[in-house]
Formats: sequence, C-alpha cells, structure tokens
Amino acid sequence: MESIVAIPFTVLEIPNIKIKKPSWLQAPSAMTTFSLVLLSYFLVTGGIIYDVIVEPPSVGSTTDEHGHSRPVAFMPNRVNGQYIMEGLASSFLFSLGGLGFIILDRTHNPSTPKLNRILLISVAFLCILVSFFTTWIFMRMKLPGYLQN
Amino acid sequence: MPASSVAKPVNSPNRGLFNNTAGFSTLITVTVLLLAWLAGFASRLFAVIRFESIIHEFDPWFNYRSTAYMVQHGFYNFLNWFDERAWYPLGRIVGGTVYPGLMITSGTIHWILHTLNIPIHIRDICVFLAPVFSGLTAIATYLLTSELWSRGAGLFAACFIAIIPGYSSRSVAGSYDNEGIAIFALQFTYYLWLKSVKSGSVFWSVCTALSYFYMVSAWGGYVFIINLIPLHVFVLLIMGRFSQRLFVSYTVFYILGLLLSMQIPFVGFQPIRTSEHMAASGVFALLMAIGALKYLHSLNPKGQWKQLLILGGLLAAAAVFIAVVLLTYMGVIAPWSGRFYSLWDTGYAKIHIPIIASVSEHQPTTWSSFFFDLHVLVCTFPVGLWYCIKNVNDERVFVALYALSAVYFAGVMVRLMLTLTPVVCVLAGIAFSILLDLVLREDEMPIPQTETEESKSLYDKAGKLKKRAHEPTLPTDATGLGMNVRSGILIAFMILLMLFSVHCTWATSNAYSSPSIVLASYGNDGSRKILDDFREAYGWLSQNTADDARVMSWWDYGYQIAGMGNRTTLVDNNTWNNSHIALVGKAMASNESAAYEIMTMLDVDYVLVIFGGAIGYSGDDINKFIWMVRIAEGEHPKDIHEADYFTERGEYRIDSEASKTMLNCLMYKLSYYRYDSGGSPPGYDRTRGSLPGNRGFKLTYLEEAYTTEHWLVRIYRVKKPDEFNRPRIPLAKRTISTTNAVSKKFPLEVGTGTSKRRKGLLKNKPTLVKGKKVSRLE
Repeated sequence: MESIVAIPFTVLEIPNIKIKKPSWLQAPSAMTTFSLVLLSYFLVTGGIIYDVIVEPPSVGSTTDEHGHSRPVAFMPNRVNGQYIMEGLASSFLFSLGGLGFIILDRTHNPSTPKLNRILLISVAFLCILVSFFTTWIFMRMKLPGYLQN
Repeated sequence: MPASSVAKPVNSPNRGLFNNTAGFSTLITVTVLLLAWLAGFASRLFAVIRFESIIHEFDPWFNYRSTAYMVQHGFYNFLNWFDERAWYPLGRIVGGTVYPGLMITSGTIHWILHTLNIPIHIRDICVFLAPVFSGLTAIATYLLTSELWSRGAGLFAACFIAIIPGYSSRSVAGSYDNEGIAIFALQFTYYLWLKSVKSGSVFWSVCTALSYFYMVSAWGGYVFIINLIPLHVFVLLIMGRFSQRLFVSYTVFYILGLLLSMQIPFVGFQPIRTSEHMAASGVFALLMAIGALKYLHSLNPKGQWKQLLILGGLLAAAAVFIAVVLLTYMGVIAPWSGRFYSLWDTGYAKIHIPIIASVSEHQPTTWSSFFFDLHVLVCTFPVGLWYCIKNVNDERVFVALYALSAVYFAGVMVRLMLTLTPVVCVLAGIAFSILLDLVLREDEMPIPQTETEESKSLYDKAGKLKKRAHEPTLPTDATGLGMNVRSGILIAFMILLMLFSVHCTWATSNAYSSPSIVLASYGNDGSRKILDDFREAYGWLSQNTADDARVMSWWDYGYQIAGMGNRTTLVDNNTWNNSHIALVGKAMASNESAAYEIMTMLDVDYVLVIFGGAIGYSGDDINKFIWMVRIAEGEHPKDIHEADYFTERGEYRIDSEASKTMLNCLMYKLSYYRYDSGGSPPGYDRTRGSLPGNRGFKLTYLEEAYTTEHWLVRIYRVKKPDEFNRPRIPLAKRTISTTNAVSKKFPLEVGTGTSKRRKGLLKNKPTLVKGKKVSRLE
C-alpha cells in the first residue's frame, strides 16, 4: 500500500510552496468565546426568539376601575407568554447569577489579597442572592400561586 | 478523575470501610444513584396517586393502543398493521409510520415479566415506563458527566436530572411517550460517543452505534445526535485536534449507525436522501480527505505540510458542501422538511405551516419557561460552560456544542426544552461540584502536606484560607477567609439546592401531573371535584354507536377517540396529511349546509366537539378554532378567510359583537346549541367571559346525540339525507299533489304488496335491489 502511494513521489518532487496563515486568523481566547456564549445565552433565555415571532409589546397595560390605563410589567398567569421588558430583566438576572458563580470561582486565585477576596466573595454572593430572589419575586408576580399549596 | 474506578464493584464495605477509599466512594456512588432513581420515580407519581393509573393526554393514547396491539398480535403483525380506524377513508400504515422503540421496550418488559409468571397488565407497564426510565437517564447522565469532569459532578448531575421539571414534564407516570425513553438513549449515546472519542476503540464506537440505533427506533429527535456528533468532529477538525482516535470512532460510528438507522421502517432511506442527515455524510467525507492528507504527510514529512493540510482540508470541505448543494438542487437529496426548517427560519412555521405553529408546545420559549423548567440551574449552566471552555479538551468541546445548540433550539420551541435539560444538568453538576470542592476540600488538604511541628498553627490558618493546596507557603495567603465565611457559603448553597428541590416537586406536582383526560376542580374549601367528562363521552361512543361509525372531531382528540372510544376517526394527532385536516377545519368553519356537504363527502356519522364554557375550561375547541380557520384557509383560500371570523376591530369574540360568519359557523353552533348552563344569566360562557351572541337557534342537518355532565364534550349525529328537519309549513299553505302523497306514504308500509304496486314507477328501481339484499341477508 505505502509503496503504491509513494510511486508518484519517486517521479515528482514536492513543490516548495509557501502558504501563510492570515495573521488575523487566530483561535479566540476562552474569555472571548465565553463572553459571546454568555451574550447569546442572555438573549435566548430572555425569550428574544419569542419576541421576534410573537411580537409582544414591550410593556403591557391594563385599565383599572377608574378607567385609567396603567402599565403592567408582567403578563400574569401565563408561563408561555411575556412582554419584552420582563424577559430582558429576567435574563439579565439569570446572567447576573451566573456571573456571581464565576466570580466566586475567581476568589480562589492565590495571588488575590485578602481584602479583594472578601470583596469578591461578597459581590459574588450579592449577585447570586439578588438574582435568585428577584427571579423568585418575578415568578410570584407572574404566577400568583407559585409555590403555594 | 479516572473513570476506570467506576466499573469496580462494591468490595465489601464492611471490611476496611475507611481504608478502602475506592470501595467507599463506589458505595457512595451506588447509594446516591439509587436514591436519585428512587426520588425521580417517586416525584413522578403525583398523577397516579391523585387520579389513577391512567394514560395521559393525546399521543400516549396512540402509543398505548399500538403497544396493546403488538402485545396481542405479535411484533410482525404490528409492523404490518394497517389501521383502517384512523384517517378515514385513507387509513394509516402504523408499522411504517411509527418509531417502534417505545412499543418494543414495553412489550419486552411485558414479555419478561410474563415469562417470570408476574401477571401485570400492559397498561401498568406503559404508565410506569417513563418514571422507571428516568432513573436510567440519571445513571446515563452520571456516566456522561463523570466522563467529562469527575464523579462528584456526575452525582450532582444525576440528582439534578432525576427531579428537574424540564424532564419530568415529559416523563410523569402515565405520560407514555417517545421522549420518556429517548432522553435516556440520548444521554447514553453521548456518553458512549465521548468514551469512544477518548479511547479511539472500535468497541466503544460500535456501542455508540448500537445505542444510536435504539435512539433512532425511539424518537425522531435522533436527528439531533446525527447532527451534533458530526458538528463535534467538524469543530475538532477546525481546532486542529484531528487524531487517529477521532478518525476511528467517527468512521465506525457513522457507517454502522447509518446502516442500523436504515433498518427502522419509518426512517428507511432518509439517512442518505434528506438534508437533515447530509451534515453527517459531509463530515465523513471531510474526515476521509483529511485522513488521506495526513497519511500522505506521514509518507513524506518534508515541506510545508501543515499549511497544505489546512488548504486541502478547506478545499475538501468546500467540495463536500458544493456537492451537497448540487445534489439538493438536482433533487437527489430532499430539502429540509418544514419542521426542521422552522428551527432555522423561525418565522417560517407561522407563515407556511399553521399546523406546526398551532401546537402550543411548538411555540417559542419565554423566560418564565426557562426558569420554571430549570430553576437555579439556569444560573449555574453558564458557570459549568465557563469551566468547560476554560479547561477545554476533546470531550468538553462536545458538551459546549451540545449546550449551545440545545439552548438555541430550546429558545425556538418550548418542546425542545427537553433536549436542553440534560445538558443543563450536566453543566450545573460540574459547576456545583467545583464550587463545593472549593469550599470543602481545603480543610483537609494541608494535613498530609504539613507534618511538621508547625502543623497545628498552619492547619488552623489554612483552615481559614481560600487557596489552592499546591501553594500552601505563600505568606499573603495565610490571612485568608475564615471558617465562618466558608460555612456561610456552604449553607447558602444548601439552601439554594433545597429551594431547587422544593421548586421541582411543586412544579411537577402542580403543572405537569395532570392527566388532562380527567380534570379536577377545587372548591373554595379545598374540596376536590373530578370532572370525568372525556371518558364519559368516549364511553358513550363505544357503547351506543355502530362499530364502524365515523366520528369527526378536531385532530387533537383523534387518538383519544380511537384509544378509548374505539371508533373510526378522520384526523388524529399524527398530522401527516395537512389537506385532510384542512378539510375537517373547513367543515368546522363553514356554515351548516356547506359543512353538511363536506361531512357527507367524508361519510361522517358523528361530530364531537369540546366545549369548556360551562366549567371555564380554556383548552376547548372555540379557543382552538382560530387555528382550524387558519389551517383551512391555507388549503381553501377561496372559501375561508381568517378576517371573516374577527370583529371589525380585529378581535376574536363570540358575543353579539362577533362577526356573522363566526356566529353561523358549525363549530359555534355545535358548541352553543341549547346551551343554558354556566351560571347567571343562563347560557353565560365562563371561558370567554361573555354571553354568546347567537342563541336559541335550531340545527337542520345535525341532531344532538349526547352531552356530558359538565357540557365538556358534545356529540352530534349527522342526519342522513332523508331525515332533515324540513321547514314547517302551516297546514293551510301546504299544497299536496295526490300522486306524490301516495308514493310518499308507501315507504312507510312494509310488505310485498307495496313494492308490487310501486313497480310501475320509474323512480323505484332501487327497491328491487333492496328486496334482493334482504333475502340475501336472510
């Protein structure tokens, strides 16, 4: 097998061609990749595809008993419907929570001084807890019976 | 973590429990997995405990019916089964239009149990199949994650997937559907694939192909695998990670998987003829080309091979791509089918295929669905992804691709949340494992390293640290975090996880455990009332109608009528024939006389509509009606116009402001005929919250046959042409020609004398035939 494939090379000489990889073409760094991923994750979890297809208003409105029109941020009682702003707000919180976890990971970098470390940990926990409980409250606004009975 | 220790058996935990760490960790692994299985199984039983052991919803009824058929008549008869009770008058070749994996799985379990003399009804196997498989899914997820990261992460992932609502929504007891077993097959195939990429052994590749075969037999979602694995290979090639292992595993998997998948009758020649599968063969050709270039390189390792290799690879990729495009244009390869196409061009289904867009689970996903189905894992998912991208290797490239594609698809369709859920569990397992590692591990690490007399003080200080064990001597680190902070973090994590499990149980119990054929309503005092109208109606159909009666309903109820009522249906949930469905939609949307023409054309005996106005059930036919109109308009644009059914202001309503067309269409009339329930004023529609605009009307071509207790299901009989309600003419206005009167009277009298006397009439030719028939019957 090898000898058969090698036959042409007995006659031919391999040309000395120079092909250069374009300098701008580089594998993106892990951070760049992750930033792009997180951005797209933010958009998708915010229901951007839903917004494109269904085209809901950015904020809804209701009319109260006096006839005044009041803005409503959350489409109530429906898991499969949303307004644009509530989706973006919630997905911002999701990403915030994710960033909190990542910051928490950064704290174990040994070269960080103590004060910075404590600051980082508090920021991380603030992120996680704020994101978690705000999402919870959002869910309660959306589904009034959430986690009841 | 070495995966080899996974396979070790529990070597007697009693002897040397604390010396033998491998045995100890295996014991923990087995225990945790068993508990996850148990928890997953138990959390899926809400529906059985609240209601009864019953098949849920729509598609499961068909799966159950065909499983029962297969158990009764044998596998080969099932493959050849022509179901003449569906899609009247076309019928359906069930064996060739179904993924038989589900039926074979439960049939096999049934056979094994009966061989062991355990007499269990096939229905109970069907009901409990999905919860049992959820445990297997947990184990497969554990294997996958421990292959990717570590066994600890695997255990986290297994526990997550056991209870996560995104998966239990499709696998509660009674939800006997393809997805229930397919997610297990999906995870297991991915695990075997990673294993084979890692080892490059033919054995694991063959296992991958076999597992892929099971997946193909179980669910149409196998297309996800056959596109994701080539994508993985392709990205690895781009990243310059070509290796012999990759070459062996992909080529073996592709060839075997291709041949095996073509053995499923429903799949047939699709893997070589449709665009959905072309990525796999394109990558196969590319891999071959690059393998050949590499081989040439090995023969003559001089010159600028690296660049040439890249160039050659690019050329090969371009050639493959152009070949696929050309073949598609020439018609050799079928283009993307509408269902898959709508995943890319998200507006496509809304415009062109209303039947896909009409299904609620094909709607795009909102933020609340993400949160509802994944809860806290929606935050930890990017974290796990971050670790995978940071410490990348061949397998983690795969999981990153899996995660990205699944997130996108889940965003397009609520239903595909199901494919996202496993990878979210995997990545969240990784994230939680690492973070907890961070918090817990450092307590113990310094002990073996510092045995000197200082050890005590170092231990104390180290205990306070947030630092890596491999740099224990840095003095700046000695002033790290205290024990309190660490335990605080730990407690916070535990609370998060606890809230996660509370949420999962709540969501499974409240949102996903309704059989939807038995409804429950709760009074103010918490008392529960069961509304069993569906089974009441289907039971009536099976008891009181002729065995070959044709029942027309909207396609949602086709499987249930066939499964519970055992009657012939016109359309059902296997929506393969759009024009037939459009015809039924047109009949529902037309006025009574136009509908009657369609109904006689289709030979309809009974019409069944679902009406929720009396009890406020929102999933009824009036609310679905706009989709019937849209689908009918797609096929009959001359007769049906969507705008006719809205008010002038573009609202969809049923009260007196509704449009004339709306108030006179068949669906409206069948829903509100004789309706006087629903509280005050009588005839009030509680679902729409308004009073119907057209009331007190009469039906000409149909008559009410049966209405269930809560008005939920209404069945009408289509009159034969000879029994219409003729408009009543006052006696004085009647003009009776005597000859007609005589001839009309005679059919009432029975006897040979009559037919003899009528023999002379020209119109009475059929009577001769009739007489013949009677005598032949006798």
